[in-house]
Amino acid sequence: MAQSSAFPAEQYNFDIVRKFMIVAMIYGVIGMTVGVYIASELAWPFLNFDIPALTFGRLRPVHTSLVIFGFGGSALFATSYYIVQRTCQARLAFPWLAEFTFWGWTAGVALGVMTYMAGFSQGREYAEFEWPLDLAIAVVWVSYILVYVETIRRRSQPHIYVANWFFLSFLLAVALLHIFNNLAVPVSLTKSYSLFAGVQDAMTQWWYGHNAVGFFLTAAFLGMMYYFVPKQAGRPVYSYRLSIIHFWALIFLYMWAGGHHLHWTALPDWVSTLSATFSVLLLMPSWGGMINGIMTLSGAWDKLRSDPVMLFLITSLSFYGMSTFEGPLMSLKSVNALSHYTDWTIGHVHSGALGWVALVSFGSFYHLMPRLYETKLYSQTLIYVHFWLATIGIVLYITSMWVAGIGQGLMLRSFDDYGNLAYTFIETVEFMHTPYVWRALGGAFFVVGALVMAYNMVMTVRASRIERAALEAKLAAKLAQA
Amino acid sequence: MFDWLLWFTRMENSKPLALVLFFGAFCGILIYVFTGKHRAKRLESYKYIPFDDDPPQSDSSRSGHRPQSRKVMDNE
Amino acid sequence: MRHEHIETNSALMLLLILVVISIGGLVEIVPLFYINETIEKVDGVRPYTPLEIRGRDIYVREGCYLCHSQMIRPFRDEWLRYGHYSLAAESQYDHPFQWGSKRTGPDLARVGGKYSNQWQVQHLRAPRSVVPQSIMPNYPWLLDHDLDYSDVAGRMRALRATGVPYSLTQQEYDANIKKFGKDAADQLDINQAQDSLLKQARDKNFDGIPSRVTEMEALVAYLQVLGTMVDFTKYDEGYFAKFR
Repeated sequence: MAQSSAFPAEQYNFDIVRKFMIVAMIYGVIGMTVGVYIASELAWPFLNFDIPALTFGRLRPVHTSLVIFGFGGSALFATSYYIVQRTCQARLAFPWLAEFTFWGWTAGVALGVMTYMAGFSQGREYAEFEWPLDLAIAVVWVSYILVYVETIRRRSQPHIYVANWFFLSFLLAVALLHIFNNLAVPVSLTKSYSLFAGVQDAMTQWWYGHNAVGFFLTAAFLGMMYYFVPKQAGRPVYSYRLSIIHFWALIFLYMWAGGHHLHWTALPDWVSTLSATFSVLLLMPSWGGMINGIMTLSGAWDKLRSDPVMLFLITSLSFYGMSTFEGPLMSLKSVNALSHYTDWTIGHVHSGALGWVALVSFGSFYHLMPRLYETKLYSQTLIYVHFWLATIGIVLYITSMWVAGIGQGLMLRSFDDYGNLAYTFIETVEFMHTPYVWRALGGAFFVVGALVMAYNMVMTVRASRIERAALEAKLAAKLAQA
Repeated sequence: MFDWLLWFTRMENSKPLALVLFFGAFCGILIYVFTGKHRAKRLESYKYIPFDDDPPQSDSSRSGHRPQSRKVMDNE
Repeated sequence: MRHEHIETNSALMLLLILVVISIGGLVEIVPLFYINETIEKVDGVRPYTPLEIRGRDIYVREGCYLCHSQMIRPFRDEWLRYGHYSLAAESQYDHPFQWGSKRTGPDLARVGGKYSNQWQVQHLRAPRSVVPQSIMPNYPWLLDHDLDYSDVAGRMRALRATGVPYSLTQQEYDANIKKFGKDAADQLDINQAQDSLLKQARDKNFDGIPSRVTEMEALVAYLQVLGTMVDFTKYDEGYFAKFR
């Protein structure tokens, strides 16, 4: 992956963008494959093979960390480093520090998932890394902030473009969340106990957990949207004024919503009511952002027919709109009573993670590839193939999870004529087998799509190398003639 | 030390307070952003920032920088 | 002030973002530490014994919380299926909390005492041998591995630093006797950690193997204490509602 030599001095530091993009694809494919594997374990438990490192309980954090931090995180590094340079018209500050963020982040994720398989875990969802890795990640994150903010400070453009606001809020919020949620007292290098207990610990964790979704998987990807949708469409974003409202309302409201993960638990009612209220309010900025993105195409809808990259970006926004409608719905206490603890939640997360986060990243990568490698994309047809594989995969995934989740929820709360429970728990497990099979199939579709993209990417890079070599040969020949 | 915070946890206090504060701020921002012809024009002009660094042939408004690789070809 | 002031000044923008994102967390989290009603006043909840701590560590290590919740909600079906809804007091010594977010398997908040030790061991070793439709992985290595309890005192010391009342000094020990009774206070004493771990394993023999202390021993000890500390017959139904 040493493209640095292939591309001579560029105006911008694209080398780091290329690296992060490649790593994002690698982690993405591995992480999604692990996802399909653990989904299959739930359908066919023999796949656990009695091997500790392969059991569902240890592989599930491997899956979540690889796709959230490995794929999503690297995609954000890549796109944010690209966007900040292009919208500020300044070269990335502190190149060595940016290089450090690359190696630190990549190694951190790799080491993290290996420690999970070895059984080292903090036992907090999406924050399972033990404390030494948490510290290392904090250092990498602070470096990221330094590089990013210093690049903005060196901008030749007086205004900071709206995409960068979203990235700034993501940088700050993630630092805050990561540090407070991982406060712990260490026992040894591989074991620690969280500082908080019980109800306070639960609230801290879900304040983190929900805002990991809010800032890592939403705000930052909105930053991506605010740059790549206008650029790919060749027209500016629908409304700059709407984006101002969108931004401030979104980052304010998100931080209140975490408690809806703890409805009907031992968390005091006032917190969960407050969280539910703000979760419903959150619908407004979410849809404001979606409208802003989709309406960018207003008057140029034909691009959806001619440009497969646009198809990715606009479909991702549609899924964003769908899951940000489903979210507030599920945060209502009455709905949550049914949906909580079931696969409906899993389906909801994936309509956001696959439909929004992954599709917008894929679209952005397709936009980036020709620009980073100064060549044409290898195949437009393969982009269509990828698009349909991904879309079919997502639809299979979320519909099977609706069936599993709502089905289980209804079964668990149904009574017979005498007021006894109509079903035992294990009957609901039996019922979920079929949807679990379909879910695994949907995931497999999505992985195949990602593989098609990876192939397209490899071929594009190869074409770029060949073209460059030809160009250099021609140049050398001319020089020799002269 | 943090006893005063208890006042805010009483729903009958915190609800109206939060409503007034946040809704007021929200309306203020809305009014600021969406009123005034000049302001609207000014604010909307910033949405062209992403296109500022495109190569000159596709952009006439501001001077973009040429990618370095193009220079090699110019020097042939 | 114009919005342009913010979008042309990175420091101002960072500051404003920080203010805006801090409000929600401050309002919702900080009071939880200061409001007395957050945790119910209830007798019986004690910190885990050394053996139970090690069992809990294994519970966390294997990622049990990803499929099993430990938080019963106040609904009729959950009451019938699992028992009284969970109190905040019952997890007040849980570092980290293990309420969970998904029930691929049933809730475990009150699993203690529901099944025999033998059933638990057999179920953990080979779930489908007792529940044919189960999709839980087998955990045979829990019986193969001897429990490492060499650093159990260190673990208790770390938990003590977070505020769990394990005793190091005579004074703390006496306070524990008052609060939890002599037997429990002995088990919560860090100075006797290894001895009380071995004693509990020998007396109860959770894993059915008298000669060894396995990881299974610790995990079953932990499972068997879950949800058993509060005696709900002592309180009338309305009592806990006050705290919600």
